[in-house]
Amino acid sequence: MTTKYLFPYKYKKIGWLILVPSAIAGLVSLPVSYEPSFLNFNVPAIFISELFGDTKLVGMVNNNMLNDIVGLLIIISSLLVAFSKEKSEDEYISKIRLESLVWAVYVNYGILLLSFLIIYDGSFLWVMLFNMFTILIFFIIRFNWQISRLKKLTNYEE
Amino acid sequence: MKNNIKVERAKKNITQADLAKLAKVSRQTINAMELGKYVPSTVLALRLAHIFEVEISEIFTLEDSDWD
Repeated sequence: MTTKYLFPYKYKKIGWLILVPSAIAGLVSLPVSYEPSFLNFNVPAIFISELFGDTKLVGMVNNNMLNDIVGLLIIISSLLVAFSKEKSEDEYISKIRLESLVWAVYVNYGILLLSFLIIYDGSFLWVMLFNMFTILIFFIIRFNWQISRLKKLTNYEE
Repeated sequence: MKNNIKVERAKKNITQADLAKLAKVSRQTINAMELGKYVPSTVLALRLAHIFEVEISEIFTLEDSDWD
């Protein structure tokens, strides 16, 4: 009796191998607005609203794809890390998984609510940016922490 | 809910790891149940009864707090 919708165990490692470098790449490139020219592309888009430009429903835009690629990699890899099965996924692990998910949603929105009240304008853009990823990150931290605590506890017993 | 998994395990002379393997769960789950931190599903409870060759009610006992 285990949770549905989980990836096989081996995907967890693959997730970590992608998540760590792409998170570092994101944190390094973002504050300095690094946009390498070889990643400038004309790409199809919808709901276009260019700064000092047109608003169109559908069309092409010129865009630097670095942040898109990094964002995509972070989301996919953190989904893999978060929702791959443990080596011995069973009903107790599923319970911890669910509890950690509830905890992560509360913490994520708790922080967002607080940010609504004390962070404004340009700074709030950063909050929105990080908030795209934090719910999964909080879950990963909490779940893995609980599992490792459990493993330690089990090793002391018997 | 109280349980005497530890006692039944001792009778059979098997470790937590052995029991985990037999019941197809992790050792952490066996440990958590023995410590009263986790109440197993009906399926797992039935598996344990099957492994120990006893009735389910010989392993698990309701407590007053289970009615709250």
